[in-house]
Amino acid sequence: MTTYTEYLKERREQEWREELRKKLKGKERTDQPRVHMPEVDPNERVKSQTVEVNLGLGREEAIKEASRCMDCVNPTCIEGCPVGINIPEFIKNIEREEFSLAAKTLKMYNALPAVCGRVCPQEKQCESKCFYTIKLNKPAVAIGYLERFAADWERESGSMDVPQCAPSNGIKVAAVGSGPSSLSFAGDMVKLGYDVTVFEALHEIGGVLKYGIPEFRLPNRMVDVELDILKKMGVKFVTNFIVGRTASFEQLKEEGFKGFFVGSGAGLPRFMNIPGENYNGIMSSNEYLTRVNLMGANNDEFDTPVLRGKNVAVIGGGNTAMDSVRTAKRLGAERAMIVYRRSRVEMPARVEEVKHAEEEGVEFLNLTNPIEYFADEKGRVNKMRLQLMELGEPDASGRRSPVEIPGATQDIDVDLVIVAVGVSPNPLIPASLPDLKVSRWGTIEVNDGMQSSIPVLFAGGDIVRGGATVILAMGDGRNAAKSMHEYLSDQKD
Amino acid sequence: MANLTTRFFGLELKTPVIIGSSGLSNSVEKIRLLAQSGAGAIVLKSVFEEEIVNEYKTEFQKQSDDQSNLEFLDYFDYEIKNDRVKNYLDLIQGVKKAGINIPLIASINCASGNEWAFFAKRLAESGADALELNLFLLPSDLNRSAEQVHNYYITTINKVLDTVSVPVTVKLSPYFADLARFIKELSETRLAGITLFNRFYNVDIDLDTRQIVPANVLSHPTEYLQPLRWVGIVSGHVSCDIAASTGIHDYQTALKMIMAGASAVQVVSGVYKHGYDVVKHMVHGMDKWLDQNGIASVSELIGCAGSAKVKNPAMYERVQFMKYFGEFDQSVD
Repeated sequence: MTTYTEYLKERREQEWREELRKKLKGKERTDQPRVHMPEVDPNERVKSQTVEVNLGLGREEAIKEASRCMDCVNPTCIEGCPVGINIPEFIKNIEREEFSLAAKTLKMYNALPAVCGRVCPQEKQCESKCFYTIKLNKPAVAIGYLERFAADWERESGSMDVPQCAPSNGIKVAAVGSGPSSLSFAGDMVKLGYDVTVFEALHEIGGVLKYGIPEFRLPNRMVDVELDILKKMGVKFVTNFIVGRTASFEQLKEEGFKGFFVGSGAGLPRFMNIPGENYNGIMSSNEYLTRVNLMGANNDEFDTPVLRGKNVAVIGGGNTAMDSVRTAKRLGAERAMIVYRRSRVEMPARVEEVKHAEEEGVEFLNLTNPIEYFADEKGRVNKMRLQLMELGEPDASGRRSPVEIPGATQDIDVDLVIVAVGVSPNPLIPASLPDLKVSRWGTIEVNDGMQSSIPVLFAGGDIVRGGATVILAMGDGRNAAKSMHEYLSDQKD
Repeated sequence: MANLTTRFFGLELKTPVIIGSSGLSNSVEKIRLLAQSGAGAIVLKSVFEEEIVNEYKTEFQKQSDDQSNLEFLDYFDYEIKNDRVKNYLDLIQGVKKAGINIPLIASINCASGNEWAFFAKRLAESGADALELNLFLLPSDLNRSAEQVHNYYITTINKVLDTVSVPVTVKLSPYFADLARFIKELSETRLAGITLFNRFYNVDIDLDTRQIVPANVLSHPTEYLQPLRWVGIVSGHVSCDIAASTGIHDYQTALKMIMAGASAVQVVSGVYKHGYDVVKHMVHGMDKWLDQNGIASVSELIGCAGSAKVKNPAMYERVQFMKYFGEFDQSVD
């Protein structure tokens, strides 16, 4: 059996790749600067919730950037990819202008390249392992930009194929939740001939891709295109359906469902439980972003508004915090602030998101942590007390830990506070299945094949990992599909 | 039968024997046994800030196989804190649901300023009858002055007192330059009581490995002498109840502490060494002794041998042996 390393070697030895490598000398490739992603002017983009900030690479820019890739003998970039995409092959296809093949290569491992090209933290994954990064100390090949280019080109060219599906085997399986893990699960299962239904609790399909990520970072149409293909492949979508409430697993089993994949995500907001956190005007990033992204709260014509503020503080330093603070800016905040207890260096958010936020006028109150909120006579938050921090010794994450400076506090006027300090797994499914083994933190425990303690139930994404990138969640969905297929095939025998 | 009721934590206790903060009280069943043994109150296991920091590290190592869930784990220490509070809540509710009638005291051990108020409020809300602050700074910081240490205690205690409505007590260490004056100052805050003293983790050196190792995890019965002296010194001079702790393994020592001025005693090591029956023996022993000595109530005994009552209070303050060692030296010769 060919190993993946051997497969990669074989692919690298294809004649066209050998020819392409000879086209430019190594120095000619490495001397080229990394391409810049064109962006909409900050003063313009901050006026709209739906204008995508990054414009994407043009054809010539993409080909030029692809020519920087050295097509290494040992492609370390692949080690940095959670699902092992054959990165050099898709990039070399761009270099030789075979964009459709580039997209096809990506889709062998990644069901949603247009999404991952936009939201995956490539600088911490594939690009951190690029030859340029680790050997040349130069900016990595822009793998993420190229991934987005190939996926966008395929979509815009109208050449997106509906994948072939095996003849129906008549076996009904269900996916709970419609985020990235469920979508990739559904895609793989329908290809294998299963009758797949995706149950979504909200009124929109897409899970965190729709409710969590604002359109200025990930336009909904990117997700909708993928959903359309899944629909054409035969996947059924049922919205406003809470598995465990609208119908129990037992009822679904009685309806003929033989296998379940739970990708219900981490939708339970976390708070800090500090004094005053229950005042009006303090809400979770989940609520804030969902109201804006899914319920039109940024549009006065909708009946589902969200509180707006002049002085908005967002607590946290991750991508969700950046999404929230940039949304607040777009909704008219005069002062939109990030309150984060560590320094900029330790922020979990993508470097690009921090840069964009700063360009848009977001203030960063680093090394501060809220310890109390105050309110006016109507109970609306009007002030927060910040504890000033300094950095101590590195903690388990390798980052320097935040340490309080005794007695050093600062009061800041605020009228809206968004708490973005992380989310916990959605407790609905575990609560409805007493036999389901979950960790102390509510994540579903699974084996290597994503199978839970209930044999017909598989799970992946945030409900298993707590927090996962889109690509890891999709990897889980694919892994679960493979395992469930094996499991159900064995049952049939 | 003598009346053993007393007062500490701002509460009326059926007996003066309090189970100190430890793993002895980490389940409903253990609390039931301790209550049946005659304990007057139970201080629940302390929430240690240090434990939370360590658990955060453990969870990080366990869950972060890559950097993808850094956002999930970035504030995970708050999750752990909330989990600790939830465990307290579950335990207290479990005890109440089981119909076990004994005061439960929440206990906190924190190092940083804001955490005290955070936990105090949350634990008080969990249904605890009172709060014990296990408050201690080892005076090992070469840059921290006595005044800074003093201010830290006063500020922290006041912050907690401002935050909660349940009675608050502190368990102190003996390491203060002005211990008696400081205890008096603390007693004049709104504290419901002060426990003398906290017993600490001790270290020793292993001769073979030349490494530092833990030493004497449990107290020895002779260790009661230090708290006895200080309870005696402050007795009658302070404005809140005093409890004694460390080295109290039998009813005789408990009675001595009460005579010195303690309203109650905290026991832990004795129970670890001899089981729950030690509480029963202490309660019965006190009762019998009071009866034999014609004393109707334990409250009559409190402070009868304290510095404010004894003929020669200077005995409590004597620290040099002088003649005593002179005689001892002669006997060695």
